Amino acid sequence: MSKPVLIATISCLSLLGVAYSFFTATDVNPTPLSSFTAPFVYGHFKVPSENPLSKEGVALGRLLFYDKRLSGNNTVSCATCHLQRLAFTDGKAKSVGVSGRKLAFNSMSLANTLWGPQHFFWDGRAQSLEEQALIPIQHPDEMAQDLDELIAELKADEYYLTLFRQAYGQINAQNIAFAIASFERTLVSSNSKYDQFLRGELTLTGQEEHGRKLFMAHPDVKASLRGGNCIDCHSQFLTSGFKAKFDGFANNGLDSDNNLELGLEKVTKMNTDRGKFKVPTLRNIALTGPYMHDGRFETLEQVLDHYDQGIKISATLSPLIMEANNQLNDDEQMQISLNLNEDEKLAIIAFLHTLTDYTFISNEQFSNPFPTEQAQNE
Amino acid sequence: MNKIWITLLLICVVSVASWFYLVNQKQAGTVTLQFQARVGDKPLKFNQTIYPNPGGEGQFQIRNIQLYLSNIQLQGKTHRYQLTDSYHLARFDNASKSYLIEFHDVPYDQYSKVMISIGVDESANSSIMPRGDLDPNNRMAWSWEVGYKFILFEGTLAQAEKIQPLVYHVGFSENYKPLEFQLPKPITPEGARINFDVDILAMFNSSETINMVELPTVKFDRKDARLIAENYASMVTLSADSTGLSRPKKVDK
Repeated sequence: MSKPVLIATISCLSLLGVAYSFFTATDVNPTPLSSFTAPFVYGHFKVPSENPLSKEGVALGRLLFYDKRLSGNNTVSCATCHLQRLAFTDGKAKSVGVSGRKLAFNSMSLANTLWGPQHFFWDGRAQSLEEQALIPIQHPDEMAQDLDELIAELKADEYYLTLFRQAYGQINAQNIAFAIASFERTLVSSNSKYDQFLRGELTLTGQEEHGRKLFMAHPDVKASLRGGNCIDCHSQFLTSGFKAKFDGFANNGLDSDNNLELGLEKVTKMNTDRGKFKVPTLRNIALTGPYMHDGRFETLEQVLDHYDQGIKISATLSPLIMEANNQLNDDEQMQISLNLNEDEKLAIIAFLHTLTDYTFISNEQFSNPFPTEQAQNE
Repeated sequence: MNKIWITLLLICVVSVASWFYLVNQKQAGTVTLQFQARVGDKPLKFNQTIYPNPGGEGQFQIRNIQLYLSNIQLQGKTHRYQLTDSYHLARFDNASKSYLIEFHDVPYDQYSKVMISIGVDESANSSIMPRGDLDPNNRMAWSWEVGYKFILFEGTLAQAEKIQPLVYHVGFSENYKPLEFQLPKPITPEGARINFDVDILAMFNSSETINMVELPTVKFDRKDARLIAENYASMVTLSADSTGLSRPKKVDK
């Protein structure tokens, strides 16, 4: 290549470069969320590399979470079914969205989703928080919002235009999901009485400690170990389901084969997954009733009674539930029972109450950012 | 003329030498360990009641099987290669029913021995610090006072119209089993793969034969746990094609 050609090429390229930088949008430089911490006993977690946590993204997500414009008729926000004071549940057996019809499911608590099983919703329908965020917005019975309309609505608002520009660049469906998921990832609950006990800041009462031991133990009559068998599904520090693959889904004996719901089978298409539902976190469990995917149990006592005496046999019932018994079986009956005594049940319930995190439900960083007159759902 | 010939000759010598050097360059590379699960002489199939109870009546099915393989080391002529935090939770619920571990940047050497342990060594077993695949929130932690399950087997046994749950959760530091494998032919890194067989049936049928009807669960009873551990010590073996130098096949996750 001769010298003049070389020089011409280089100049052209540099000119193009300068022009390119002029005509494309300026780079988005959100502030990485540096103050974000979590207890190490919660184990590994992963924030998707395409949606790193940023101050701007989280703040925007919080706004969207509480904004009723996310629903088709502007009456319902994410927070309608996820109230902070109830650890982001709604206190109803089955949630009700814009259609006024009862949904098939109980609204899930949104605590520590950063670690929780990597599949979201009761039947594992979403593979990420980002994916999950857009489903209720569009679901006709939940928020019934058309994404294009939502984007147009948000684009008409100068404030949102600025916030989106700072956090992600532009307003689109992906960035709406990114922001909501980012906000949800910051909902860390780790200051319950149990956490304070783990940090050595206090001691549990005798009853709570008894309950903690039972919670952690799979019963073994041979080794004279009594247990409530909770930890077999609710992994210990997070008290949610296990992370890997679909390990965090289980059939906990709610129904027998003839009325077993699809559950995880809806997603995996495998009949060995029929009746399996997501194992929810037990963090703040005293606040998140009614319980189970369909809210069939009102109280924690009913839940304990179910595990103790109410297990129904089905083909996919967890062998760990089938096998857990605190008494040697002297009859050949296949009645599954933990055989806990009343004191033991009360002790487990007392321990479950130590999982209530009052700083979580009062943390202003998670609360409704809109002026109070607009925040009727709070 | 001489000058040209000498130059050409030199060029030839140098290029042949550098070609030899590049080809035989003693470079660090990857070593892959593949663990192929089977149940006795049958392939592993989940959720199918097809395997006979080794010590008695009935047939069993497997719902879950996973185990810790840890502290894997490769013994070479000059190096002993060990990965830090080498705790690997092996599971086989993929299409090929196998588990792969890849070691990258393994220094060049002729490796003739592989050390693998089943279970978790005592210091890690009594700690709640997450490292490797150890995580106090995973399915293998009993409670942090007891440590980790080294092997988890869950399933059911069907016999005479009756379904019996099977739960074998075996841990305790005394059941940590270090194993040593002498390779028939030393391997060098770079695309080397060592194949192992993992015979799940060996848990119930090697040094002792277990009747699942009489022993359907093993958890905290130390004598029972030791019984299974003596058995699982022989569940990992070198495959016949243990030093296949073929490229490892990709296994779907």
